[in-house]
Formats: sequence, structure tokens, C-alpha cells
Amino acid sequence: MSVHGREIVRALSPARILVVAPERWRAECELHAQEGWRFCGLFATSGAQQPRVSCVLARGGREHVLSTSVPTGILDTLVDLFEASAVDEREAHDVYGVRFHGHEPLRPLLEHPSDPAAWTVPVQGHDPYQVAVGPIHAGVIESGHFRFTVVGERILNLDLRLFYKHRGLQTAAEGRRLADGLAYAARACAACSVTNAVAYAQACESALALAPDRNLRRARTLLLELERLYNHLNDISAICAGVGFAPGSMAFAALKERAQRLNQRLTGHRFLFGAVAVASSELRIGHVDARAARHELRSIGDGTRSLWRELRFAASVQDRLGGVGCLTRDDALRLGVVGPSARASGIEKDTRSESPRLAYGEFAPVSVARASGDVAARFDVRGLELEQTLALLDDLLDGNLTTGAVKSLGGADCELGVSRVESPRGETLCAVQHHGGSVVRLHLRTGSYANWPAVACAARENLLPDFPLINKSFELCYACADR
Amino acid sequence: MFVLLKGLRHARREIALSVPAARGSLALRHVDAGSCNGCEHELAAAANPYYDLQRHGLNIVASPRHADVLLVTGPITTRMVQPLLIAYEAMPEPRLTAALGDCAVGCAALVGEQAQLAGPLERVLPVDLRIPGCPPNPEQIAAALLDLMREAKQRVRADRSRSWSPQPRHPAAKA
Ligand code: SF4
Repeated sequence: MSVHGREIVRALSPARILVVAPERWRAECELHAQEGWRFCGLFATSGAQQPRVSCVLARGGREHVLSTSVPTGILDTLVDLFEASAVDEREAHDVYGVRFHGHEPLRPLLEHPSDPAAWTVPVQGHDPYQVAVGPIHAGVIESGHFRFTVVGERILNLDLRLFYKHRGLQTAAEGRRLADGLAYAARACAACSVTNAVAYAQACESALALAPDRNLRRARTLLLELERLYNHLNDISAICAGVGFAPGSMAFAALKERAQRLNQRLTGHRFLFGAVAVASSELRIGHVDARAARHELRSIGDGTRSLWRELRFAASVQDRLGGVGCLTRDDALRLGVVGPSARASGIEKDTRSESPRLAYGEFAPVSVARASGDVAARFDVRGLELEQTLALLDDLLDGNLTTGAVKSLGGADCELGVSRVESPRGETLCAVQHHGGSVVRLHLRTGSYANWPAVACAARENLLPDFPLINKSFELCYACADR
Repeated sequence: MFVLLKGLRHARREIALSVPAARGSLALRHVDAGSCNGCEHELAAAANPYYDLQRHGLNIVASPRHADVLLVTGPITTRMVQPLLIAYEAMPEPRLTAALGDCAVGCAALVGEQAQLAGPLERVLPVDLRIPGCPPNPEQIAAALLDLMREAKQRVRADRSRSWSPQPRHPAAKA
């Protein structure tokens, strides 16, 4: 095997699974934290006799999965090492009954107790009062509940209560064949359907020691970027709507419509449903269609650029974006924020640059000139990334595309596969545990799941009427988090 | 601003909706009861310049108090049953309910017997209109709603002498 070939095999090798004793759990995680490993997700499984807890950590494109059994039902918490694990630990408690020593109070996440004191953070001070919003919002939006503690118009604290849309998709996938489980990951969310499906497929392939061939890589990368295109156009439209600028909102909604019609033409579905499969790709695009698609994408690109310029000079829009909903770099790092929101706060990380199973080549994340972490910066990131996506799509559609397949890496099967994929909202982690080709456990930790705490953090100290705008600048999915 | 408006004019010239505009109006209130967000995207898209629902008198309103139709998406999670019923109760009579998308209609492949689900919609509320599709595209949504508008108008005309109530109330709706 050539040197280059060996490198690819190493890059594609599955995550290392380190089984640790329960009493060593925290120490091992702490060691990883000191060595600069980044927290990517924590999940529990029911296990044969006792629950197990696993934590996925990443550094420079490599993943480690620390896994331990929990014979006593209690495990040391990781929240002081990785604050991002707070939500994961709450979920592990609510679904699998694992308690976490030192995580106090362990507020319910999936359970919805009627007493607000059970799930909100107490706020002291002079005359604070609460404003409850949702789960049904005014407008065509998903369901979720926000509880603001405010003084006058100023938000002192925001408590989120999600999981109104919890459909039990992860547990419903259990016991199904690996190929059939994909639908549950894909249908968790329409707007991130490709990302979730690709993450699931790659996790399966990594567990089965399979490597995608060139066509498969190209097809998946193409689908991921088509998804990003219509999502980013939608997000810009949403931010315009958030400041009440209807012409901008409608113009970008029209561009999104064009992008979705292109999706329909290329894959037969406006949301690209059904285009991803485990270990294969049926996507075929002939020369003529590819050329037509490139042409349409260039025209969408021209439209985007001229509209973007208009927005830049629309003073009434720009005036509303600066200094609102600031998320500092430190907060973003502390909370483990991912995706465009993290890049807007000055964290130049993008999982696309460490995705050897996809066709991104030498990918470099965008850097924002003014990474101020406010709505304006998140707005700018979307604009820059649209350019990047359009350029990638132009490349990917150069020439025809035929069906893709996998080849064996020659390694042994592994019970657990993990995979990370950059969705339009940030890194999505998918872990698939299987036994003899049937799903034992599916865990999906999407970019939205990771970023919801950041919305609460960014809203603090802002005015209540600015919240819809702040929320829209993150534009997270509820469906992705609730599953 | 000029470029923006010119772009919109261009989009409007290509309006996709072939349905002839009917006179009248319906106020729509959407409730997401556990959808994957696909149906929401398409409902919102029905208001974009290519389809422009408002042109046909179909308005999405902010409060169930202002609504004629409750548009429900998703397989109805147990956690959304109560909020959904509250929204329904808040609507003035006569009121109509529409199931938007396969999940709410009850023909979605993935919606099994999960304990977290109480749906499809017909188990919770009386359903007047079913819009299948995963998700139905904006054109299908608009066409179905316009049909409903015509039908509702005819029923109102026929029942003008009596006070009009579309269906016997479902027992769950009283809960
Ligand atoms: S019908 Fe399809 S698009 Fe609509 S909520 Fe269900 S899964 Fe999503």
C-alpha cells in the first residue's frame, strides 16, 4: 500500500473506544480535557444489566469514546470540565435514570414538571418578573417554551423548555436493521435531514470498517452543500423578518424557493429526502443536468450577491444588528458552541475541514473580519459561507455523477461507530451501536442541540423585543434537539 | 431597495399557483405538534413571492382567537396535546381543523406506536381537511386550502338559516 493510501486508512479508522472503570471515569475525562480534547457529546445506553455512559471527545480529526458501566446508577459529573455536557447529562438522567454526582441541581429536561421552580434558575433582585412564551408561538414556527425573567424590558435570565416535540425517534430505531434505522435519523429534522442521514450512514460504515468510494463522497458532499444553500438563504430571510424588513425577507425567501426547486430537479425532493443511504448512493446526475444545475446555481449566486449588497446598504436593517445578542468568544468556548454561531464569535472551527469521508479536500473555515459574536456577525457569517457553498457546488457539479459504493477497509467490525458532520447549524454527532447488523442504540446530537444553551446566554442583558431577532440569528431547529 | 423590489417583481411574474383566485378569505392558525419542520417550511414557503397565499385571501394569523382554521402539523406528541386543545378551544365557532402532512394525517411511515405519540390528529380533534404529503409542497397546500374555502362558503350559505357548526364536537376536545 502506498504511503498516501495508508494515511487515508488511518484517517478513516474508527473512533478509539476506551473502556474505563466507573471510578476512573472523571479522571480519564479530565486527562483528555487537559490534553486539549474537545467534548462532542455524552450518551447513556441501557446495557445488559446496568446502564452504560459514553462520552465522545475529538481532537484534530480523531475521536475517542470513553465508556463506562454505571453499576451504582451514579457517576461523577463532567459539567465542571465541559459545561456543554450539562444538557447531555440531564437527558441521560431523564431517559436512562443515571444520576450524576456533583451536578446540582440536575434539572429535568424531557420531563415537564408544572412547578416552574423545578426547572428554572432562581433570580434574585429588585422586582424581577417572568414572561412565559410558548410552546405555541405566533407564526409558523416550531413548538418550544421560553421563560424569561425580566426587569422592565431587560432580560435577566432565560430558561428554555424544549422537548415538546419529543417523538422517541431514537428508541423507535432500536432493533431495526442498520439500513432501516437511517430514516429515523433523517426524519428527525427536515432542514438538517441530509446531515443527520449522512452522519448516521458514516457512523454505520465506520463501525463496519467500510470506506466510501469517490462517487459516494462526492454525492454526499453535494447533498450536504445543497442543504446548506437553502438553509442559509432561509436564515438570512429569517433575520430580515426578525427586524421587520419584509422586502429582504421575501427576496431571500424567493431565492430559497429556487434552491429548493433545484433540489427537486436533482434528487426528486425539495428537502432532499431519501437521497442518502447506508453504504451506497443512487444519485445520478448526467452531464446535461449538471451543466443546467451549475447555470442555475450561478444565477442564484448572482441574485444573492446583489441582494446582499442591498442589505449591506439598508441602514434600517444594519442598525438593528450590531451589538445585539452578543455571545463572547469565551462563552462560546465554554458552552461548546458549534457552527456559524461559533465562527461568528471568533472560533474558526468547521467540521468540514476534518471530514475524510467527504469530498471537501483542503477546506478552510471562513473567518469573519469582525467576529463580534452579535447578530451582525452571525448575519455576516451566513453571507460568507454562502459564497463558499456556491463555489463548492460549482466544483462538485463539474462533470456527471454516477452511483457510489463502499469498499472494505479490511479491519474488524466494531460495535460502536461515531461520526461528525457539519450541518447548517454546526457539528452534528451521530453514534450508532449495533449488534449483528441491528441497531442497539442510536444517538443523535445535532448542532441545534449543542447551541440552544448559547441562545439563552446571548439573550441575557438584551431587551425582550430583541429576542425574536436574536433567536432567528441562531435559527436553531427544535425538531433536531427534541428528536 | 430598488434591486430588492425589482427582484420581487420578477418572482411574481413567475407565480406558480395555477389555481384561480376565489373570493373570500380564511384566517389560518398553525400549530406544530411534533413535526420535523418540513411541513412548517412548506407552509411558510406558500407565503413567499412565488405562491403568495395572501393574494387568495389566505392569511396566517398570530392568535387562535382570530382564526377560522387550525392547521396542525406533526404526529401529535403527548406533550403537545394539551397546548393543542387549548388553542382549539380558544378559536371562535365556526372553526375548522386541517391535518397538514402525512404525520398529522396518520399515514407517515415512521409514525409507529411510540409511547411519546398521541396522534394522528383525528384521535385528538375532529378533522375537516387532510393535506397528505411529506411534506406537501406549497402548491398542494394552497390548492387544498382554497378548496376548503370554497366548500366552507357553500356550507355557510346552505346553513345560513341555522347557526353553523361544522361537526359534532369530539369528546377529547372538551378535555
Ligand atoms: S409529514 Fe413529513 S415533512 Fe411533514 S412533519 Fe411529517 S415527516 Fe415532516
